[in-house]
Amino acid sequence: MSDTIAENVIATLASVKRIPAESIKLDTPLQELGIDSLDTFTLLFELESKFNISIPDDDARNIRTVNDIVEGIRKLVTANNSGSSTPSAAPAD
Amino acid sequence: MPDRRVAVTGVGIICAAGLNTKEAWNSLQRGIPAIGPITSVDTSTLRFHNAAEVRGYDPGAHFPGSQQDHLDRFAQFAVIAAREAVADSGVTLTPELCERTAVVLGTGTGGQSTQDAGFEDLYLHRRGRVHPLIIPRAMVNAGASQVCMEFGATGPAFAISTACSSSNHAIGLAFQMVRRGDAELAFTGGSEAPFGLGLLKAWEAMRVMAPDTCRPFCKDRRGMVLGEGGAVLILEPLEAAQARGAKVYAEIAGFGMSSDAHHVTQPTVAGPARAMRSALKDGNLAPAQFGYVNAHGTGTPGNDPTETRAIHEVFGPHAKRLAVSSTKSMHGHALGAAGAIESVATIMALKDGILPPTANFTEADPECDLDYIPNQPRIARVEYALSNSFAFGGLNAVLAFRASH
Repeated sequence: MSDTIAENVIATLASVKRIPAESIKLDTPLQELGIDSLDTFTLLFELESKFNISIPDDDARNIRTVNDIVEGIRKLVTANNSGSSTPSAAPAD
Repeated sequence: MPDRRVAVTGVGIICAAGLNTKEAWNSLQRGIPAIGPITSVDTSTLRFHNAAEVRGYDPGAHFPGSQQDHLDRFAQFAVIAAREAVADSGVTLTPELCERTAVVLGTGTGGQSTQDAGFEDLYLHRRGRVHPLIIPRAMVNAGASQVCMEFGATGPAFAISTACSSSNHAIGLAFQMVRRGDAELAFTGGSEAPFGLGLLKAWEAMRVMAPDTCRPFCKDRRGMVLGEGGAVLILEPLEAAQARGAKVYAEIAGFGMSSDAHHVTQPTVAGPARAMRSALKDGNLAPAQFGYVNAHGTGTPGNDPTETRAIHEVFGPHAKRLAVSSTKSMHGHALGAAGAIESVATIMALKDGILPPTANFTEADPECDLDYIPNQPRIARVEYALSNSFAFGGLNAVLAFRASH
């Protein structure tokens, strides 16, 4: 499952940034790929739709590598599948 | 003609902190936040639910009959603030003066709610036609035009739209026009009414909105909180104001602008620093003459440390002696109206010798090491103050004010 998520994240990242998927590794810092905040917003927006999740702003701020995104999404997807209410859909107060 | 000194002789405001200058300043000087649950929009699909809305406002009480339907909320705010400002100034708008009167107002998004309603009719309800007044209500110059018509001001008039710097750019340009003799009087400031689901959703997607409240310069700040409203200043040559025995709130002493030319949303230190330096240079002022800075202070992770570093760069060792506050912690970030609302706060601070605090203050971010006037107002007579506005798009505009006492 984590492989699927990782593959999906890498494919989405490649499509958003218009770069070859082969150039993206899990431990690649986003900065090294030239991903700035605007690209990150777009990427998270695409991933939210693909996985039917909502990524909280506070989590989004702490993303540094591709793997940070994969792990974050895995947690949200697991929470969704376990039937609990989406933890991130509620206001993060 | 040599440069003339420019006085602020009237102020008008409507914002979350109050429906007029007396109410708003009373609240701001005490450090009372006007941030609460959003009531004008259903926020059930939003990740944030708080904002600084104008409460207790009845358009019908200000605009009789169908007039209220001819003006979007942002233009209503402009006219209401202009009415208060001109009455406050006591100036008589003779036909001769009207021809020499400028109107320069800022707004970021103009009549966005009007646009939204039109799009809803068209795309959602599949109606074949839209309301006939969308264009005159929504255009960004609607506020400026309505103020011109209300007072018969027939001199130079235009709107400025530079996102969150709109009002400061507007006031700065009006100041330059009065200073060099292109106008004998100016209505200037700006207004914004951003509360519509479309725009709130767009801000949410930018991931800069605080889910709780606005805590500028604090370690636990989580972003900005939107505000709305309008504020207008009446500018006149100081000599003319004194000749007619007008009360002078403050003088505008300098104006500086710059562009980051860097990134559409990430601020730089250099850009804001150059705008502040340029305002000081414009007024031939030294850092040590300043006692207060009304900061841009949005409460976002990006702005606050960057602005702090820029203030250090410009003021050097004097930065530690400056009092700096962000009144956005109380009236929210009113975008294109922010500079105008904060100018009123700055002018009143100079006039009354009370510096408004940064409300909701918890613990300072280690990267933010200035005196932010946490929570409690400061009694202090200050001669010069700056008011900062830095916009998305990297456009910066800074005003320098001088106390009149």
